[in-house]
Formats: sequence, C-alpha cells, structure tokens
Amino acid sequence: MEQKKLEHRHKILVADDSEMNRFMLRNMLEESYEIIEAEDGLQAVAVLNKMGPEISLVLLDIVMPNMDGFGVLAAMNKYHWIEDVPVIMISAENTKVYIERAYDLGVTDYISRPFDIMVVRRRVINTIMLYAKQKRLVGMVADQIYEREKGNNLMVAILSHIVEFRNGESGLHVLHIHVITEMLLKHLAHKTDKYPLSQAEINLISTASALHDIGKIGVPEAVLNKPGRFTDEEFAIMKSHSKMGADMLADLPIKDEPLVKYAYDICRWHHERYDGRGYPDGLAGEDIPISAQVVALADVYDALTSERCYKKAFSHEKALEMIANGECGAFQPLLLECLMEISDSLREELAVRSVAMDDYQAMENVAAEMLQSKDLSSTDRTLRMLEHERMKYQFFASMSQEIQFEFSLIPPMLTISEWGAQRLGLDENIVDPYGNARVLELTGSERLEHLSRIVRQTTPEKPDSEYECQITINGEPRWHRIIFRSMWTSERPIQYIGVIGKVLDIHEERSRLMELEHQATHDGLTGLLNHRAAKEVISARLGQDSSQEFALVMLDLDYFKQANDQRGHQFGDGVLQHTAQRLCQSIRRNDVAARVGGDEFLVLLECNGDPESVVDRIFQTVRGEYEGFPISLSMGVAETQSGGRSYEQLLHRADQALYAVKRNGRGHYRFYDNSMEEMLSVLSPIDNAGEESQ
Amino acid sequence: MTIQECYDMLGGSYEEVLGRLYSQALVEKFVGKFLADQSFQRLDATLAEGNFEEAFRAGHTLKGVADNLSFTKLKDSSSAITEALRAQNHDQALQLLPQVRQDYERTVGAIRAYQG
Repeated sequence: MEQKKLEHRHKILVADDSEMNRFMLRNMLEESYEIIEAEDGLQAVAVLNKMGPEISLVLLDIVMPNMDGFGVLAAMNKYHWIEDVPVIMISAENTKVYIERAYDLGVTDYISRPFDIMVVRRRVINTIMLYAKQKRLVGMVADQIYEREKGNNLMVAILSHIVEFRNGESGLHVLHIHVITEMLLKHLAHKTDKYPLSQAEINLISTASALHDIGKIGVPEAVLNKPGRFTDEEFAIMKSHSKMGADMLADLPIKDEPLVKYAYDICRWHHERYDGRGYPDGLAGEDIPISAQVVALADVYDALTSERCYKKAFSHEKALEMIANGECGAFQPLLLECLMEISDSLREELAVRSVAMDDYQAMENVAAEMLQSKDLSSTDRTLRMLEHERMKYQFFASMSQEIQFEFSLIPPMLTISEWGAQRLGLDENIVDPYGNARVLELTGSERLEHLSRIVRQTTPEKPDSEYECQITINGEPRWHRIIFRSMWTSERPIQYIGVIGKVLDIHEERSRLMELEHQATHDGLTGLLNHRAAKEVISARLGQDSSQEFALVMLDLDYFKQANDQRGHQFGDGVLQHTAQRLCQSIRRNDVAARVGGDEFLVLLECNGDPESVVDRIFQTVRGEYEGFPISLSMGVAETQSGGRSYEQLLHRADQALYAVKRNGRGHYRFYDNSMEEMLSVLSPIDNAGEESQ
Repeated sequence: MTIQECYDMLGGSYEEVLGRLYSQALVEKFVGKFLADQSFQRLDATLAEGNFEEAFRAGHTLKGVADNLSFTKLKDSSSAITEALRAQNHDQALQLLPQVRQDYERTVGAIRAYQG
C-alpha cells in the first residue's frame, strides 16, 4: 500500500449529480486512481479550469443541474481542453440522439448503465493510456520552454551587461563563453556518461556561464583595466572576484533557483584548476563541479583568442596549442579531448553565431531530444521523471510568489490562480477586466493599455512576450514582470483568442540590480558619475540636439597630493567628497558632473549665452578651504561653439586648456584657444596617487 | 437474512448485480449507501411543488441508481415516471408516483431488515 502511494497516480474527475453514483465509481477506481468529484457541470468546469491537463480523464454524466454534461463538453471544446483531457460518458441516458451528440462533441467512449466493474476499469485504463503518450510529449516541450524562459531573465542580462561595461570587454565575450560552454557540454554528454547532463541542464549551465565574472564589479577599475603587469597586491584583489561573485549570488532572494545555483558554482570555481593549483579554494579533480570546469576552459580559450588591454589576440591554433601544453593551468584530460575534437566546428560556430540565433538553437535541441525519445515506452523512466519534475514545478509554483492567469477574448474574461487572486485582492474570475475598477486600481489604465499594445504585437509564430510594470499590492507599488503567450485558433482564418501567462514579483531583484547598476556607473567615493559613464552620458547629450551649445569644464585640484601626504588618505578622501559636494551646489539641474581621475572632475554645462558666469561661479564655490586645508583649483574649458562637438574633441581641448593653466602657475581657469594646440595631457588614472604618475 | 434474501424481498436481481460487480462485499457496501440517497425525496418534493424539470432530474437519477444496483422493480417504476416527465406528461407522472413510493419504501425496508 505504501508503494502505491509513492507512485504517480492519474487523476480522474467524476462529474455526476448523484452522490450514490460517484460513490460507486470511486469504489471501483480509487485503488489505482486519484478521484476528484464534481456535483454538477459548473463544478466540473471549475476543476478543469484549475487543474487542466493534470486531469487524466473525465467520467461525465449528462443529466445534471446548473450545467449539464453537454455544457461541460461545449466548454471543453471552447477552451481546447478536450484535446488534452479525454471524456467518457457515463449517463443513464441511452437515447441514440444523446449518445451521438456526445460523440460529436468529442467524447472518447461511452459506458452504459448498469455499470460492469470490469468494463469500467478496462475503458478507463485504455483511454488514459491512449492520451498519456501524447500528453507526455507536450510535457517535455513545456519543460524545455520553462527552463528557457527562466534562463532568459533580466538578472542575467543586466548583471552581465554591468560586468562588460566595467571590463571594457565587448558583449561578444559573454556570448562566446555561452557558445563554447554549450558545445563542450554537449560533446561531453555525447562522448561519455560520466556526467548525466540533460538538455535542460546544459541550457541552464550555458545561460549561467554569462555570470562567471560578475564578481569583477567589486574590483576597482584601476586594477581591472590595468594594461601592465599586476603587483602581488593587485593580483590578490583581482583574484578575489571569483569568491565575491559567488557571495553576491548567495545573497540573492532567488538563490535556490537552479540557474542561480549553477551560476554560484561557476562564479566561485571557474579559476580552479584540475591539479588543485587554481583559486580561491584550491579544489582539485572532480571536487570542481563540471559546470565550473567547462566554463574555466571556455574562459581561457576566449581570453587567448581575444584582444585584451594587456595582450593581443592569439590564433585559434596557437590558443589550442597553449592550452594543450598546460600554459594556462591543468584541465581534466577528458575535457581537453572534447575541446580538440570540437575544434573545427568551434571555430566556425564562433564565427557565425549571433544572439538572434540562440532561440532557434534551443528549438533544435528540443526537436533533437524528442526524436531521440520516439520510442517512448523504452524511455518511460525518463518520462516519469519529467512528469515528476512537472509536478514539482506545479508544487513550487503554488508555494512561490507567483500569479498565473488566463484571459479569453470572447467572452472577455480573466481567470486568476487561487494564490494569485488572493495576492492581488481580486476575484478568481473577472468578466470584462478592462472595465473592472479593481483591476484598474492595481495597474492604472495607461499600463493596461500598454500591455494590450504589446499583446497585439505578438503573432502566432512569435506568441511569447513580456512586460514589466509596477502593480499595487496592499497599497504598495511593486515591480512585476508579466510573462505571457498569446493564444490563436488552430484553423484558418487564424484568430487571436486570448492570453495565458504569469506575473512575477521582481521588486527585490530589480531594486538590487538597480543599486548594482548605480554602483557600476558611479564613483564610490563621491557619488558622481565615473569616467566611463560620464563619457556615455555626455556623448549622448552632445548628440541629442545639435542646436544646443555646451561647454566642457575639466577641473583639477592643485597640490592635492599634499592633503594625502600631510594628513593621510582618509583626509584626502574628505577633500574629494567636499569638492564634489561644492561642485554639485554650483551647477544647474541639466549640467553633468563626474569624477574622472584621482583629483580631476569633469562638468558639462548647457550654454545659453556666454558660459563664463557659470564657470566663474563653479570656480568661486569650489575654492576656499576644507578643515584648514586650502583648496586651490585649476580649470580648463572647451566650448562646442569654437570647434568639434564630439566628446573626444571637447575633452582633448579642455585638457589642453587645463594644462595651459597649470603651466601658468595654477589657481585660475582658462577657455581653450588655438594657442594651446600643442599642449600635453593632464589626465591621471583614478587611484588616489594621481599626481605621481604621468 | 442473506443478501440474496434481501434482493428477493425488494424485488431485485442479486445474480445480475454480482455478475457486474464480482464481489459480495462491494454489493453490500453499495446497497448500504443507498439508504443515504436522496433522489426519491427530491422527486417527491419537487413534484409536490410542481417543479417538473427538477423532478425529471431526480427521477432520472433514481432510475440510474436503481439500475446500477439491479433493484429491478424500483428501476422499472422510476424509469416509467422519468419518461412521463420527459414527455411533459405531468398528470401521468403524478399518477405513477405512488408506485415509485411503494417500491422505494419496500427497498429501504428490505435493506434495513438485512442490516438488522
């Protein structure tokens, strides 16, 4: 008996208004099936609506109050449930017209009364077996789509963007790692069964690989982009990125997601080596998760074949040779074999792969997997596991903060999952949601219209889309992502009939990511924009409106080194913070301020007339003293009026004007003119030791 | 009293029901459950109210249950009243009710006697 309970039992919905009849059918079937009862047609439709294809079979009476059996069949046809859920008619009604009408409406079989227990059991098992095979195929596809959809989420996109942004690497690095990781894993799974890797797991690991370097967000820019050799201290800082990335992921509220777990392993251990000589934990051999081993190899290959600030690109052949010779540390021999074996296709693949092709690839993977499994009976165990996974998913979906919904166009009705309706404070079924005051209260009519515009942009070929907006939960606006698929008729003319989807609460995730993005674009000490972000913002402003004139001010603190030398670095930091604060006070709302070097600042001013008065105000406001330390500054100004409009041109001229000021005794400002053309550069790296170098 | 004697007393066929359900225990379980079935009471009440549509459904259910349990006499009379109601022959249905009541009470009596 215990054994029975552990097995997956098919669910049968018995819809009959007579308790006696339900009791009899339950007794005949409950040894092998889970029985769900409905007392009339409406209840039956509600159960089907809620459980969908989880129901393996409906035993349907015809004569029932509220809604009769024909009504249930009509609803099952309308919502296409009849395609997934077989129906056996069990009516005491044996008039020929009734039975014929029931067959017309899609019932699979008919059990006449009085019931013969053997006939009932035989018909039930036959019908379920017939439909189960079809349904499992659908289940496999759903599994794949589920993993993809979760993989393509905002977190991966933004986090990897941030890392690239700071690394100065092209977006290609992340894509390459993805491609190489996927190819290596596939080949590995094909070559050996040492690691049981399903297609879904390979997809997840490949997606997670994009995050391998997120820890670099914690590495200072001066170290990260240093062209020369690292000092021991710098190298130690650089090495901390693997553990730092892992710690960031461990802090996420969604850390138990399989994707995040893989990402954790990859972040932490993608610099470990097979002989134990890597970092941070010095793991060796199979103690290193295979996901991290593969990404480590992919990372090394891509680093060798790409140009970096400290090296040129090596050829494909040279890179393979260096890896094989162990010049980049030890890897598992099996993985090295894989790399050599996919060498030719790898080179081609990297040359042609683009982001757009990614989804197409995933579809091919699903198709390949399905072809492999065409003899379903022999892979029954795998399929049962998939079914099991689906049950687990459904369970976790009901436990997690997830709102599922369905919208039908005719009649305009919104159906929300039980948990979701409770969360939103709405009814589970809402007729005409566009006219429903409570629905409008949650999102506002503008967002609802935006959403329906996005829905209208979907097509039967590309039915999936998503929309992010704030939804008011218990009076508090929270960010949500609405993921949905539009539904279309299967016959011509193809018509839009509704939408299914779910609403995810991404508020915490999003707030955290926004904070991280802010960190990546701003200087940690002064809160002003950093150099790279300043360049982006200023370039964008210059390009926006060609009739608007600007002036770019480069500002440098004189004798700042003395503040550090005489009163310590902490005091020096105080001077910089004070300067940034005064600077912000002296500029206007549309101006842009940034810290671009150790003690150098950049300000973009909008000019409506002569900028001299604003420039002078900045100069007078910033100079003075800070806790007894005299603040003197030099400023060089370049105007768009007097030359090119590009960021580089402006910066170069402001830099030269500043140099002219410095050469003429510091402590004043000058506008650029042609006499300064041959001047040198002042700009120093941002490492608080500015005036020493260059 | 045996289950066979119970079926004889209520005017049904034990051989027939055992031929379909294969187990005396199951037959006994279902027969016992019949005491809780309310379709006759619903038929009686709805006819008295003149709600013939609901009466049809109740008669239909009673007929189905009696059929499943091989309560032959009750099945015959409830089938007759159901057909009268389906044809909207309300007077005839009212005339058939006493027979259904008699068969129902006889069935319930036999089951109670069997249960002791």
